[in-house]
Amino acid sequence: MSDASPLLEPDERSAPFFEAAARGKLLLQRCEACGAWHFPPRRRCSRCGGVALAFAEASGRGVVHSHALAHRASHPALRERLPLALVAVDLEEGVRMLARLAAGSPPVRAGTRVQVEFEPLGEGAALPIFRPTR
Amino acid sequence: MPRHPLRAATAICGLGLTEVGRVYDRTPTDFAVEAVRLAVADAGLELGELDGLLVSAGISSGPDLSLAHALGLPELRLYTQMNAFGSTAGQLVQYAAFAVANGLARHVACVFADAPLVRGESSGRAYAGARRASRGFSGLAGAYGYGGPIPWYAMAAQRHMDLYGTTQDQLGAIAVSTRAWAAGNPRAALRDPITLEDHRASPWVVEPFHVLDCCLVSNGGACVVVTSAERARDLRRPPVYVHGMGQAHRFELGRADLETATRTPGALSSRTAFAMADCTPAEVSVCQIYDCYTYTVLVTLEDYGFCEKGEGGPFVADGRLGPGGALPTNTGGGELSSFYLWGMTPLSEAIIQGRGDGGARQVPDNRRIVVSGNGGLLNHHATLVLSPEAS
Repeated sequence: MSDASPLLEPDERSAPFFEAAARGKLLLQRCEACGAWHFPPRRRCSRCGGVALAFAEASGRGVVHSHALAHRASHPALRERLPLALVAVDLEEGVRMLARLAAGSPPVRAGTRVQVEFEPLGEGAALPIFRPTR
Repeated sequence: MPRHPLRAATAICGLGLTEVGRVYDRTPTDFAVEAVRLAVADAGLELGELDGLLVSAGISSGPDLSLAHALGLPELRLYTQMNAFGSTAGQLVQYAAFAVANGLARHVACVFADAPLVRGESSGRAYAGARRASRGFSGLAGAYGYGGPIPWYAMAAQRHMDLYGTTQDQLGAIAVSTRAWAAGNPRAALRDPITLEDHRASPWVVEPFHVLDCCLVSNGGACVVVTSAERARDLRRPPVYVHGMGQAHRFELGRADLETATRTPGALSSRTAFAMADCTPAEVSVCQIYDCYTYTVLVTLEDYGFCEKGEGGPFVADGRLGPGGALPTNTGGGELSSFYLWGMTPLSEAIIQGRGDGGARQVPDNRRIVVSGNGGLLNHHATLVLSPEAS
């Protein structure tokens, strides 16, 4: 892997998610049959078995499930930004999403309320990240 | 309660452990072949008397279903490859015991081998994100900075700290007591004693984990042979009877309603095993707990009922787990300080203690030995209750 390798390249399946993020929207997958939300996306709803799943806009609100501070990273682009504030967020939709805290976020603990923000990820794509709310 | 028909119906009669650690230029299959041959010889059996072989591979390539060929075993009555990560070893013993107890096989070898360490590369690289995906959703975790299993376990530990006030030093106490045991194990890679101060000064990997909260990575192989209790009494070494067995799995990712960090499948797995063994945590004399991280020990002891949920920190902080403590735990130095062969690390030490072969580290009371295996990201669990006593 060269130093110039991208952090992440969207593919056909994930492009709508990353493009929506660049427009400030968090998309999750939703089962059209039973309404269950899922992330990361899957081919089949694990609640009802339905196969009609589509992206839908999520609230972007949640609470911190847990958090950790990574002092090591494999990708050179991340190594320049150590330590990385990793966070797992329990979204209002019932989905637990892995992410990172926005730069300059105050300390969090389990239960801290957070709101989604977006960090650019190359041309026309972004990565959802979270910042504590008051 | 009527006696469970599987309680002490089978026993472990053979143990084979290859050289472990930074042992290079040997494939996982090489290690597996040697481990099986050692275990069979240890039991006092001929290789041809094996009629069952259960194979477990780690993260490198092999061993696989070519192992019987490599061993020169032309005919077997039980043969497959299984994988539930770190919990596999405890599960292999269970499937072997089911087969033996029901007459489907007589001597079943359960073998694990792995060789993730490459000459000139660090241990961390073997399991970290060197091979991480960078495309689409499968690249998402890596793009945030999650590489390998450490961040997941670190977050689990941090949630325990946030909910229950568990401290760095309480995790450190596990690293310290485990290292103290390693001093008595000639096979242990790290045998110099450490203090809480050493733990605090150890570099961060992913907070709240220091280097000293994380297990080793090792090359090597291990094998145990399972047979009937009756047959085991005729063999070379003292039987270690299988009194209780259990396993539990939880593999629903991404659901916010599941408390996956601080409550593990160990609760259900141990309940099953303790019921079969007709045994309570208070009767357990020694523990071999899967210790991929210090936190794994703490949360497993809670889930097994050795203390209440949330009280694991104070429970481990007073030297209880170390030499001379009330609950000797990971008496060979565990995965933190001796070697990392997935579930074979705790299982092999349980057999050594059950036979009274522990030498300088032998515990005075080995009558009820609990062995745990943990796999994935606290997804898979196996429990065994072993004893040198036939009843």
